[in-house]
Amino acid sequence: MLLMTDVSKIYPGGNVALKDVNVHIQPGEFVFVVGPSGAGKSTFIKMLFREVIPTTGTVMVNGTDIMNLKPKEIPYMRRQLGIIFQDFRLLPDRTVYDNVAFAMLVIETPYRKIKRRVMNVLDLVGLRNRANSHPNELSGGEQQRVAIARAIVNDPLLVIADEPTGNLDPETSMEIMDIFSEINESGTTIVMATHDKEIVDVMGKRVIAIEKGKIVRDERNGVYGYES
Amino acid sequence: MSVTGYTVMSLSAKEYYVRETFKSIKRNGVMSFASVSTVAVSLLVLGMFLLVFLNTNNLAQYLESQVQVTVYMKDSVKAADLQAMDQKLKSLEGVVDVKQVSKAEALERFKQRLGDQVNLLSALGSENPFPNSFEIQVDVPSRIKDITPIIHDMPGVETAKFGQEVVEHLFSLTKILRIGGIILVVCLSLATLFIISNTIRLTVFARRKEVVIMKYVGATDWFIRWPFLLEGMTLGFWGAVFACLLIDGSYSMLLSKIYATLAFFPLLSPNPTLIYVDLFVAAVGTGIGALGSYISLRKFLKV
Repeated sequence: MLLMTDVSKIYPGGNVALKDVNVHIQPGEFVFVVGPSGAGKSTFIKMLFREVIPTTGTVMVNGTDIMNLKPKEIPYMRRQLGIIFQDFRLLPDRTVYDNVAFAMLVIETPYRKIKRRVMNVLDLVGLRNRANSHPNELSGGEQQRVAIARAIVNDPLLVIADEPTGNLDPETSMEIMDIFSEINESGTTIVMATHDKEIVDVMGKRVIAIEKGKIVRDERNGVYGYES
Repeated sequence: MSVTGYTVMSLSAKEYYVRETFKSIKRNGVMSFASVSTVAVSLLVLGMFLLVFLNTNNLAQYLESQVQVTVYMKDSVKAADLQAMDQKLKSLEGVVDVKQVSKAEALERFKQRLGDQVNLLSALGSENPFPNSFEIQVDVPSRIKDITPIIHDMPGVETAKFGQEVVEHLFSLTKILRIGGIILVVCLSLATLFIISNTIRLTVFARRKEVVIMKYVGATDWFIRWPFLLEGMTLGFWGAVFACLLIDGSYSMLLSKIYATLAFFPLLSPNPTLIYVDLFVAAVGTGIGALGSYISLRKFLKV
């Protein structure tokens, strides 16, 4: 699903964000990426959807070398991904339904298909009855569930989440993690950067730890391993 | 619960573009109005200039086709010699018509031209200062330059003139107008482009979050671009419509004023000239609108 080979990223100005990173993630895996702030987690995550391009090395996502994509091909590569951010990034002037449907609309899904699929996904995240609400009427946890619904509505092969529980209280975080587990159980690969010790320790999934741009630990059934 | 109330459900991509366009124009009401008005003013100047240019060109062509040689005879030439002169002129190669204008006829014409101010002629007393003359039409205007000196050298001829100078001046004027016009068109287009691209930049800026999300979920650049392009084109088009209304109205008014006093002045008739001018103005407005949007979007699409 994901194969990084000798990947380094040096930002203009000489700041080394990643150095000689080698990672292989199988389809269906659930992987946490942990590490101190500024260790390179964010760069690692952004490379997966080609917002950041490696300085050297290759990044293969679902068999596609992201370096060799023509600009025209990038949107189609991203359609295989679902991306979730710490700050939800919902459109405040649209309803919950429209926020999710938007992701189907922009990839030109026939509109007949949109309604059924959006309602199914809202069911999955438990927000069917909030379809008509606007994001500012929702709690943080509910907003993140909308963002998750939007990320998975197009059936991505890989879900990438950048600190998805960073703005949520522990209880809500666990609820969100339950949804991620459910998505993962349906076969979707999940890569999640997080600072949340509790969820990493409870979930007992694969953990990749990055420090100063290098992978220092890669364990199955790993733990967070830092003081939170 | 019922979910039939969602507007988005009945939308295809094309409907989405159109809906987004109008939403955005409404949201930026003041700015949209400002750019439509500015575009209208630019295109108004452009269209007016085009009309001036087309008319000058037309006038020059008209006058060229009207060119004739006028031969003024010395007063000493007798009537019989005038008849011989008439025959001689008619026998010249390329001459298609010779019209003899007597002193009395010339005076009468002048009186008519003076109109209300005919009493000015009383200063002349009984004297008629006009010479006998011939008006010669030739088959092709280019022959005039050769024929005029030949006539000039004939006995009894005071002077032979043709209107070529006027035509040449007019043609050099149209040349200047053409160059000036191109410069003007370029400047006005750039100004219009600047205005529209700024308006669209505001729109894009207001919706930059949306653009980023669209990029993350895999929208193609063209999908993102269309609503903004349509917005720019709509602004440009409406600017053009207002400009055309003003152009058409003022040209028709001008035309009726001129015809009231100068019935035969060769101005281009509104149909089809105004149709062409309107189409041109609309195309320029819409095209510049699209280009302006395209330019201001480039930066935002690099995600």
